[in-house]
Parts: sequence; structure tokens; C-alpha cells
Amino acid sequence: MMETKSFPGVVDSLDPLRDYIGELAARAGLSKKKTYSLILAADEIATNIILYGYERAGLTGDFSVLSEVTDSALTIILEDIAEAFDPLARELPSEEDLARSLDEREIGGLGIFLTVNGVDEFSWEYADGRNRNKFVMKIEGS
Amino acid sequence: MKVTLTDQEDITVVEVVGDIDSKTAPEFERSARQATDQNEKIAIDLTAVEFMSSAGLRVLLMVYRNIKAQNGKVVLAGVSEDIQDVMSTTGFINFFTIVGTTGEALSILKQS
Repeated sequence: MMETKSFPGVVDSLDPLRDYIGELAARAGLSKKKTYSLILAADEIATNIILYGYERAGLTGDFSVLSEVTDSALTIILEDIAEAFDPLARELPSEEDLARSLDEREIGGLGIFLTVNGVDEFSWEYADGRNRNKFVMKIEGS
Repeated sequence: MKVTLTDQEDITVVEVVGDIDSKTAPEFERSARQATDQNEKIAIDLTAVEFMSSAGLRVLLMVYRNIKAQNGKVVLAGVSEDIQDVMSTTGFINFFTIVGTTGEALSILKQS
């Protein structure tokens, strides 16, 4: 069964969002490392929603966390009503980019890279006027 | 999150307490910039930081570049395993000296 919780689309919501994702991860029995990766992924995507989807566009709105725990996976969906934005549209930093010296590298795209790299599945869709960023963490031992 | 700057001879210690996310990173950045303006030897104590997003990595990048431009040195202390994993995945870890405690950071910086 899906559970839903809403947060105001402001940076003050990041801290309570991380706590909430941590609770969901605990309920699903995720390891410490997977929990951190999921919290980081949700924080990075929520940051983009808040700073670019809402604040830069001059919009005020909430974002929602939909979640479901099954025997095999924890699924989390972040939903917002900002303009359609596909976080995967931009090319992610390559192995080569990440090996590059900090003197010369571009800093963009790290948040999305950490998101995609940190969860078992990440996808985005835009439907019914909402961005839906979906994260799946498989549950160990299943 | 709170940031405290303390000067120990020619070294500035930046102590961060709390999470570094896009809400708190601007303050971390201001303090870290002040530290690199004051001294070319910097220790950043992250012992009391449980969470750091890419917003924090961007501040570390700025510190790295400012310090490098001055031929200085930056040492990170007390970096959690989770944060070290993130620094490793993003290739940041190769450009920083990481030690367990601020005491160790200070002894390395004193010798440099």
C-alpha cells in the first residue's frame, strides 16, 4: 500500500525529508550504506525540485513522497507540480570526468550522478502535470 | 549546521557541526572562504557531520582551488565512512588528505 507525505517546496524541508526517508529505509530493513545512498538521492532530487522547479521559476508548491515497502523492495516517488524536468536529460559525468583533476573539472551533474549511482533503479516521468522521480532500493536477502 | 573558525598559529580550523545540504552549504561556503582568505593552511573538521550532499562537495572544490592557488594545504578530519564513499565515487578523495582527528590534521599542517 502506498503511503504519502507532503513537504513545502523550500530548503527547510530537506532536513525533515531526510529523516522521513531514513524512517522508511529502517522500516524496509535497508542496510546503513543503502540507507545513506537513498537519503542522499532523495535530497539531491528534492534540492533540484525546490531550487529550480519552484524557486527559480517563482512558483510556490509542495512536493510529495509516495512510498511502498514490499518484501523485495522499497519504492519511493518524489512528485512535484513544477514544469516538466527530466533529470536524466543531461549527460552524466563519465568515468573520465570523475577521474579529472579538481582543477579543471566541471562541477555540474554530480547530484544526479550520485542519485543514479546510489539507488538500484531511478526513473523519471511526467504525467498529469506532475514530475515523478522514482527510486527503487532492492531489499537484501530477497 | 554551525561553523566555527579557530586560528592556531598559521592554521585555520573550520569546525562544522550538523548536516551540509543546499540549505546550509552557503554558510559553510562563506566560512570556508573566510578561512582560505585568512590562512593558506586549513583543517576542516567534519567529525560532527553525518550528511553531506553535492552542495558540500562544491564547497570542498572551492576550498581545494583557493588553497591550491596559494600553494597552501587543506586537511580534512573525521570524515564519516558514508561521506568518504561519496568522495570516492566522485573522485574527490584523491585530492584531499583525510585523517581521523583535528589533532592529526594540525600535526600534518605544522610540518608542511
